[in-house]
Amino acid sequence: MTPAQAALALMLALPLLAALAAIALPRLSALLALAALAAAGAALAVLGQAVLRDGPVTLHSGGWAPPLGIALQADGLGLAFLAMGWAVVAGVIGFAAIERRLPAPFWPLAMLLWAALNAVFVSRDLFNLYVGLELLTLAAVALVALGGDKALAAALRYMFYALGGSALYLAGVVLVYAGHGTLDMALLAGQGRLATDALALALMSAGLMVKTALFPFHVWLPPAHAAAPATGSALLSALVPKASFLIMMRLWFEAMPDAANAPLLAALALLGTAAVVHGGIMALRQSQLKQIIAYSTVAQLGYLFLVFPLAGGEGAAQPWAAGGWSAAVFLALSHALAKAAMFLCAGIWLMAAGSGALAALSGLARALPMTAAAFGLASVTLMGLPPSGGFTAKYLMMTAAFASGQPFWGLVPLAGGLMAAAYLYRPMALLFARDIPDHQPVSRALQLVPLALALAAIALGIFSQAPYDLMQAGRPETAEEGL
Amino acid sequence: MSAALPMAILASSLVPAAITFFLHQNSHRTRNTLSLGGAVIKLALVVAMLVDVAGGATHEARLALAPGLFLLLRLDALALLFMALSAVLWLLTTIYAIAYFGTKAELSRFFGFFSLCVAATTGLAMSGSLITFFLFFEMLTLATWPLVVHKQDDKSLAAGRSYLSFSLPGSAALLLAIIWLESATGPVVFTDPPDMSALSDASRRAIFALFVIGVGVKAAMVPLHGWLPGAMAAPAPVSALLHAVAVVKAGAFGVVRLVFDVFTIGQVQALGLGTPLALAASVTIIWGSLRALQQDEIKKRLAYSTVSQVSYIVLGAALAGPAAAVGGLAHLVHQGLMKITLFFCAGIFDERCGVRRIEGLNGLGARMPVTAFCFSLGALGMIGLPPLAGFVSKFYLGLGALQAGAPWVLVVLAASTALNAAYFMPLLYRLWFLTPAEDARGDENVPALVVPAAVTALASLAVGVFAASAISPLGWATLIVAREYLP
Amino acid sequence: MSAWLAGLWTGPFLPLLALAWPLILGMALVAPPLRRRPLVVLPLAPLPALVLAVMGAGGMATEAPSLLLGVELRLDAALHPFFLMSALLWLAAGAYAQGMARESGGQGDRQAIFAGFWCLTLSGNLGVFLAQDAASFYVAFAAVSLAAWFLVVHARTDQALAAGRLYILLAVAGEIALLAGLLIGVQAAGGTAIADIRANLPEAPLGALAAGLMAAGFAIKAGIVPLHVWLPLAHPAAPVAGSAVLSGAIVKAGLVGLMLLVPPGWGASILVTLGLAGAFGAALWGLTQENPKAVLAYSTVSQMGLMAALLGAGSGVVAGYALHHGLAKGALFLGAGLVMAAAAGRGRAFALVLCALAAASVAGLPLSGGAAAKAAAKADIAPALAMALTLSGATTALLMGWFLYRLTRGEGGKARVAPAQLAPLAVLVTAALALPWVLWPEAATVPRLYALGTGAMADAAWPAALGLGAGALALAMRWQPTPRPPGDILALLPSSGTVATAARRLTPALTEWPNLRRPSLPTHATPAALAARAEAVMRRWPLSGVAMAATVIVLAALALL
Repeated sequence: MTPAQAALALMLALPLLAALAAIALPRLSALLALAALAAAGAALAVLGQAVLRDGPVTLHSGGWAPPLGIALQADGLGLAFLAMGWAVVAGVIGFAAIERRLPAPFWPLAMLLWAALNAVFVSRDLFNLYVGLELLTLAAVALVALGGDKALAAALRYMFYALGGSALYLAGVVLVYAGHGTLDMALLAGQGRLATDALALALMSAGLMVKTALFPFHVWLPPAHAAAPATGSALLSALVPKASFLIMMRLWFEAMPDAANAPLLAALALLGTAAVVHGGIMALRQSQLKQIIAYSTVAQLGYLFLVFPLAGGEGAAQPWAAGGWSAAVFLALSHALAKAAMFLCAGIWLMAAGSGALAALSGLARALPMTAAAFGLASVTLMGLPPSGGFTAKYLMMTAAFASGQPFWGLVPLAGGLMAAAYLYRPMALLFARDIPDHQPVSRALQLVPLALALAAIALGIFSQAPYDLMQAGRPETAEEGL
Repeated sequence: MSAALPMAILASSLVPAAITFFLHQNSHRTRNTLSLGGAVIKLALVVAMLVDVAGGATHEARLALAPGLFLLLRLDALALLFMALSAVLWLLTTIYAIAYFGTKAELSRFFGFFSLCVAATTGLAMSGSLITFFLFFEMLTLATWPLVVHKQDDKSLAAGRSYLSFSLPGSAALLLAIIWLESATGPVVFTDPPDMSALSDASRRAIFALFVIGVGVKAAMVPLHGWLPGAMAAPAPVSALLHAVAVVKAGAFGVVRLVFDVFTIGQVQALGLGTPLALAASVTIIWGSLRALQQDEIKKRLAYSTVSQVSYIVLGAALAGPAAAVGGLAHLVHQGLMKITLFFCAGIFDERCGVRRIEGLNGLGARMPVTAFCFSLGALGMIGLPPLAGFVSKFYLGLGALQAGAPWVLVVLAASTALNAAYFMPLLYRLWFLTPAEDARGDENVPALVVPAAVTALASLAVGVFAASAISPLGWATLIVAREYLP
Repeated sequence: MSAWLAGLWTGPFLPLLALAWPLILGMALVAPPLRRRPLVVLPLAPLPALVLAVMGAGGMATEAPSLLLGVELRLDAALHPFFLMSALLWLAAGAYAQGMARESGGQGDRQAIFAGFWCLTLSGNLGVFLAQDAASFYVAFAAVSLAAWFLVVHARTDQALAAGRLYILLAVAGEIALLAGLLIGVQAAGGTAIADIRANLPEAPLGALAAGLMAAGFAIKAGIVPLHVWLPLAHPAAPVAGSAVLSGAIVKAGLVGLMLLVPPGWGASILVTLGLAGAFGAALWGLTQENPKAVLAYSTVSQMGLMAALLGAGSGVVAGYALHHGLAKGALFLGAGLVMAAAAGRGRAFALVLCALAAASVAGLPLSGGAAAKAAAKADIAPALAMALTLSGATTALLMGWFLYRLTRGEGGKARVAPAQLAPLAVLVTAALALPWVLWPEAATVPRLYALGTGAMADAAWPAALGLGAGALALAMRWQPTPRPPGDILALLPSSGTVATAARRLTPALTEWPNLRRPSLPTHATPAALAARAEAVMRRWPLSGVAMAATVIVLAALALL
């Protein structure tokens, strides 16, 4: 086993071990989680260097190649998501460790969630992915339930939807297995299409759309994300939907690229557009900060589905390829960082003002300037303004749209950015109101966490060359040519 | 050719900005030293550069972002014109602002964003490619908002809201235009105008229109000017920044780049775009003046005057001829000098005497002779009284209009002059000729407020008196036009 | 830097100094010692100009390429009489103004303002005569035009301020018209040289428009009917010294503008017609005035009309005529000021005599300077116009008689006539009587002695006799014109109050555009309300189930396509 392969294995093992240890030694759970994070960070660095140098790193469990064994592979895309997961989890764990208010189950749940995420990010087997997704759902629902009695209804709703989605996905997996006798993506891609594949793809996609909270299945998301404790919301909003979306991407671009056709791609993008518009309008109507942030997630997830028609989009005049595909990855990454920062900001303000209502924010910029700065920077990313990662994503997406002769899809991020500005302006303006309310002090260390996350989202835009290069490692051909 | 200089110039305001944010509210001395130090260093760099660039040198720095997305900083004569203006005015505004705010609250935030704004302006001036221009354009939008709402009262917040609700859609239009264009031509670098043969004439016109809308918001072109008058709720140094140094200038500068470096004069004429743009600018000039006439608040009147005056620059670009271009470019500097003088003075009137409305100006000339004198110079310059700066701009614009075969522009200039006189002269009359109210008080014994105003006022006289000299804004504008736009 | 400084000017310094010196003095008034006695700079200001004038025309060309748009100054022979007259008049009026400390507006600061703008006006006035390029000319013209406003309103009385309003309105309008015309000219000439503009304008596109615009601008300044309306209000309102330079020297800037920039022969018939209308109309209307200064103002309109008519007719001796008129009119104003303020006595009588001499000269009585100027002019033009000029002697004599009558009928004041004030008056009268003879214009078609011939003498005498006779007759018959306020055709225009009201009524029509109110949709149909309702529908469990099934079916169907 090369060091890189070992690092890959560690990315799965470390969170699981930390979760188990946290159950055994609840008093040390914060310390254990931080240790696991540190180790995972090192592993990630090793893995990243290997991928950049030699291309994707593959690990066959038990030494058997598919179809006998199960393949784990860290390509550029997977690695980018692994890094995103690490950064957000690090932020959330750091925040929780400083805050020290969360109930004991938080720590193992968070570690479990992280483990499930990592498993999804590197798996290439449809059933493996299903297992990862289920694990993820369980941990996520439990995290929502940590929000107390009021959160129970939201958690239940979340669970029902997630189970429905899982059932659809599983049905699709069964159909595929029945038809092809394998669930490994690389092998699937090599085989011809069967008549049942259309139904299988439809079932799996529908299931994943429910789990990604794509319009019109987003209705579980805002209550769940708003009800969870801030740390939980940060994990849920920033990372969990990205897992199912990643599967969706791998399914369409890697496992069954030849199943796509133009109306199908347009249908997916159209739902994404509906999500952008609907999420944006709903966010404008909310009176609770966390609800605004949650609806913003609905809208931002909508952008991701534009990747299906936009991937490729190589215009003759453009020096870059795969703009649309990379845009989606950039968007997922920068959204994760910014959204986590926002929920943590919401958590800080809840501590300070004692209420999650929008009106309670009045004047808090003066009281907690660092948090206001973090929220502002995160907003810049979500609005897609330069120099943030959100802008890079928007720019690549729009360029891909124009270069490939589909300007309409290019207008979606533009309009979405303006709507984001509209709904994010309300909290910003209130923060800058003149009155200084009574508030509890919040430590600077705690405030530093969302600021760091938000700055990371900005840095993703300023130093976008390296992440871009990384993403291209092991990029499927379809990303370049379009579906 | 050296990459270090552009980066150093950018850093001279970025670094103070970054540090200032983290300073404690009460560390006034450190903050002031940083702000002033940055401004002085930048000015020194720019002056050193002037000689260099006049000799024909250019400096370039390139920073890759995503593929196709790179930051290109380029110091040429046009960049330096804008930058010299902002560097000089920034230093003066900093001195003024330090005195203006004294030890009020939230100053670290203020000066942080203030420096950031200037960094954005500097970057904008040095932008060598469209996308770089856009990046700094947006940075400017965002960095300005906290300054506009600095007072944090309802009026300021409303102004901030209005600012963003104009600016962000404007930026969206600009981004759309850039991407539309670049998807057909590849990245656009200003030194090498793009080949647009892949685009139909209708598309080119649409792109041009989107561009104009995008930068027109910042340049406060009617009907996109609604944010500017409200923004006068901000403190006086911010108004100075908005109206003279940075924001509206960014818009006007964008129009100049658009016409000369993206579309090029030849294509603008071939597509028949110059006349509509000149008409839009003319409407703005007249409309702004008419609205100014109606305002009873000094700063509001000045704000509408800006709406009107900035479109002179747009007009200069739109007429797309050598003399008009010289006039427009010179006005970029001239308007800055005159308008900043007026806002400095308006700030002094407000801060020292609580005078915000024009009735309050009655008899102030006797108590604040220096301020009133500076205000008068600025106002007369705006009217275009020779030999002040505004006259030189008008002279060249009028000449350019005739050169371009658009004599109707003379009517616009004449009407604008008459209207300018109509809304400025009553203020001067009040200052010097009417008797003050019984309870009037206040003086001008704050050199740090008065000296910057005096410097800019005298500068706006000097640039007119020595207009033909090679180092005047007019001389520099002539150099730019001769070097870059004439065959 | 040194190269830059060297580029400041080339050639002799005197022309530049003549313009810069008054400005320097004006600025020096900021210094407290001068500020206490600001009027002392007034007689000093025109000294370099006087030196230049005495040294004579030609040769003295200064270039200052760095200034403005490249300044070129030269005293041309054609304008030498204007320059000399102005320098002299400004000097005399400045000396006379020393007595102003005792007059109204004695406040130190207000005097300083008066003195400062006096210097600026002076510099502009001289600059108009020296400028060889359009930009300097325009700067100078603006200075003389606009700064003179401060001379008009110095007293700050309602009357002075009202006159000032009208003055500034017309002055600004004139400036705008002039700039527009100049720009067309510069474009046509391809440069700013005034000679080139005049040469190129007739062929240029829009050349006629440019000439018309400039002519209008200059006509305002020169007080040519019907753009003269400001003049009868402003000249009497100003302090005496101010009136003298306004009526004597400043109006000549407009005339010089007409000479320099309007192509020869352009609109000749219009100029002649309007000039003659002014010459006779203003002289007759002046008889309705009671204030001697207003009478003099109308006399100025009348005389400027004559000069405009001469110019239109292509006469080459307008400058000489202007020289005499400037000196004589200046003397009349100074004298009128003295007489009106003085207590009865020898001083007053002496001033009255000097006034009478100056008036006689204006009326062109034989042997006077005015007679010389008129004789030279008449010989130069068509007989019909010469006849008109001769006839105008009658109206002028009548008006001058009326002026002297009004002056003697005035009550006078209590002031003692100071010799220091009498001296400048005497100098001016002497100059007015003598200089037209001494500086017989080279362009004149007849020699100097011609004016001393009997024919010319008779020609000068009979109209004066006619005018004076008519006056005496009217006096004897106790027939007097009804007194009217100055301003004549101004009464035909709506009052400023009416205009202001109308403007105020119009302005509310301008509101902000676009009006950024939200579109008024019914509340249940706003996007937000629709989205909320959709959200509620989507939350229902059964519907979600159906949606999932539908999604699967649609996706599968599309994939099968």
